[in-house]
Amino acid sequence: MNLNDKIERALEKVQKAPRYTGGEMNTTVKDWDSCPLRFGFCFPDTYEVGMSHLGLKILYGLINRESWSLCERFFMPWTDMMALMEEEELPLLSMESRHPLNAFDVIGFTLQYEMSYSNILAMMKMGGVPLEARERGERDPIVVAGGPCAFNPEPLADFIDAFMIGDGEDVMTELNRVILERKEKGLSREECLKNLAKLEGVYVPSLYRVTYHENGTVAAVEPTCPEAPASIRKRVVTDLNSTYYPEEFPVPYTEVIFDRIMLEIMRGCTRGCRFCQAGILYRPVRERSLEKLVDLAEKLQASTGYEEISLSSLSSGDYSCLPELIRELMKRMKEKRVSISLPSLRIDSVLKESLEETQQVRKTSLTFAPEAGTQRMRDVINKGVTEEDLLEKVRDAFEGGWSSVKLYFMSGLPTETTEDLDGIADLARKVVAEYFNVPKAQRARGLRVTVSTSVFVPKPFTPFQWAAQDTIETVLAKQEHLKQVLNIKGVTFHWHEPYVSFLEACFARGDRRMGAVLKKAYEKGCILDGWNETFRFDRWMEAFRECGLDPAFYANRERTKDELLPWDHIDSGVTKAFLWREKEKSERTETTKDCRKGCNGCGLQRWKGVCAYANAGGV
Amino acid sequence: MRMLAVFEKGERIRHIGHLDIQRSVQRGLRRSGLPVAYSNGFNPHILVTFASALSTGACGKREIMDVTMAEDVSEAVFLEKMNKAMPPEMQLSEARAVDRKHSSLPPLLRAARYDLTIREEQYAGKLIEAIPKMMARETIPAMRKTKTALKECDIKPLIYDLKGEGNHLYATLVLTEREACKPGMLTEALCREAGITDEVRVLICREALLGENEQGMLVPLEIL
Repeated sequence: MNLNDKIERALEKVQKAPRYTGGEMNTTVKDWDSCPLRFGFCFPDTYEVGMSHLGLKILYGLINRESWSLCERFFMPWTDMMALMEEEELPLLSMESRHPLNAFDVIGFTLQYEMSYSNILAMMKMGGVPLEARERGERDPIVVAGGPCAFNPEPLADFIDAFMIGDGEDVMTELNRVILERKEKGLSREECLKNLAKLEGVYVPSLYRVTYHENGTVAAVEPTCPEAPASIRKRVVTDLNSTYYPEEFPVPYTEVIFDRIMLEIMRGCTRGCRFCQAGILYRPVRERSLEKLVDLAEKLQASTGYEEISLSSLSSGDYSCLPELIRELMKRMKEKRVSISLPSLRIDSVLKESLEETQQVRKTSLTFAPEAGTQRMRDVINKGVTEEDLLEKVRDAFEGGWSSVKLYFMSGLPTETTEDLDGIADLARKVVAEYFNVPKAQRARGLRVTVSTSVFVPKPFTPFQWAAQDTIETVLAKQEHLKQVLNIKGVTFHWHEPYVSFLEACFARGDRRMGAVLKKAYEKGCILDGWNETFRFDRWMEAFRECGLDPAFYANRERTKDELLPWDHIDSGVTKAFLWREKEKSERTETTKDCRKGCNGCGLQRWKGVCAYANAGGV
Repeated sequence: MRMLAVFEKGERIRHIGHLDIQRSVQRGLRRSGLPVAYSNGFNPHILVTFASALSTGACGKREIMDVTMAEDVSEAVFLEKMNKAMPPEMQLSEARAVDRKHSSLPPLLRAARYDLTIREEQYAGKLIEAIPKMMARETIPAMRKTKTALKECDIKPLIYDLKGEGNHLYATLVLTEREACKPGMLTEALCREAGITDEVRVLICREALLGENEQGMLVPLEIL
């Protein structure tokens, strides 16, 4: 039976077949045989998640734009499709030309979330690519990875040939050129990897030796050849206006999670929230110009036909000319019936005016992220938002005709007490009161306040990278308490299961030895760990036991100042000294000002001309 | 003015459901920049309807969309702009401008012509042989799926025409707003007639949507 017959048989039986069929508008199918370099872009989660991801759209367009390279997409199949693929003996195939993963010269995984790691192994296995880097031969693809989780690459060091650290736009093409050169000159895999290590922002883990102290902490991470730098400096794209941004996005046939135009208005954030890893990794803050954004919005609208544009960034309210931008977009999009939405609305942004404008096209629920319930706790995490701020914005929203508000909190933050948990309920109660303060005739009906608390996961490159995560028992007790105090009319309470967060914490701050746990767990059948219905915590715990590692060592242990952290050889631009200073300030409940109000000396000032707010003298 | 346009639902996207096809056409119309009419209300949508929903899993050669235009455009311009705006699997082949008062299409629909490809080719001969025997019967019982149950019905009066050749069955079956013989009902009945108990996989391709002209003859719906 030929390949197409097998595919057809599987597609007839599988649920949600359109996940696997491709052919979407604005996808690119280049001529396979005549293209010198073939890149397989792998999103280690389902189609619906992957097609919602902006980075995929950027890199897909960027690689396909080059005459000498093609990019095709791969996603993680759901379990029913995996079973059918096994039955039909089908390998993992690309969405575009249906070539198997191992037919590509280079395959690249985007690392958005630690709980997708087992999917990486599953995809390589299904695609005929040897799982461990050391098992790969001259004919196997070069396996690369990038994205926020690449900043602590160690748990994946056994499986990935090269990591790209930082902004991907420039390094992606440089990396592809090196791999093309290998192909053209017939260089060995090892030579190619050494050439990759010479690129700024590229980390080739096999060229480093890691040693450990008896207590399990890292003793040293040392390069084993001259090509490998002792410290790998992240890549930074300095000018977003001249950086590639796609003018068309693939448009899925079926509904995906973010099914709209994503307009990245800026990168980075100056707020300095101490729990936030993205706030450090994406430094410095860089804005796209209003003119560029309006131009992109019009082109993207014309090429996709989407009904909605969302302005995306870590803190859209901080964009320097946001009201002007929104006004201009509204003006140009009104006739085309396109609505504008602001997803990560910060509650201390001056947005009343803009909110009223958004409403003229469509009304959606508003999301606020106070993150913590008391002012003390918000000062500890440097979330510069007060209760008055929040309530004022909520009042504005209710008066403006909104009736649905979502509030996001974290539980388990360092120094958290019962009082801080009760503060979450107090705040929810005050939000409800604001609604009833609006005269009945003026407010929209059907109040819905949704309170969601996630479990705090300490992340590398944050001031809390030394902190212990709450144990599962503590988390459960806190959730029980929250359930009781949040039993308020008009309020719905959502909480995250602690088990996934515990495992996420292990990988977030894991070292190279976590690779063995990952492989073991995968062999035990762990896949799609980010999904409740497939997550198997018991098997993960078995894997830890069999590897002789204690998950609590990674998740629940407080680190000391002098401990060499597994990711210390990666230079995020922000120094460890700054992070430690921030940790100490948090313990004193001291806040740190927004970088826009003056340089806080995070370390980026060392790199000349990179940060617009840097004070060269430091602080 | 309204534009009746004939489009394809290609084999690669045959698993896309009708709602998603509708949304894809909406987005295609938005991409085209054509002067289409919108509904009023909070979530304005383009005024576009379809002659008939095509099942998930089936492809279609001549499906019909019915687009209300805000301004008049020529058929040629409509086709050109839409074909640039639609993916390769959903290209348009014809367009016909009609008056706003032209009847909507679903009430005019009488039948559909199908090309059914028998995937298990070893059964094709047996199935084709069974056609005359089945058609000679007074009634042809088949199971019709409703929302809640399976109901027995007679599809004999619902078959206009049925032929076979190679591993294909060519059928013209009743399709109206009130009743229909789905291709699956036909192939199941034919399998029973041929004494085939194994599952026979069939690729369904709807070739044309048909209405009745003044002489009572079946003709393509889009020319009525």
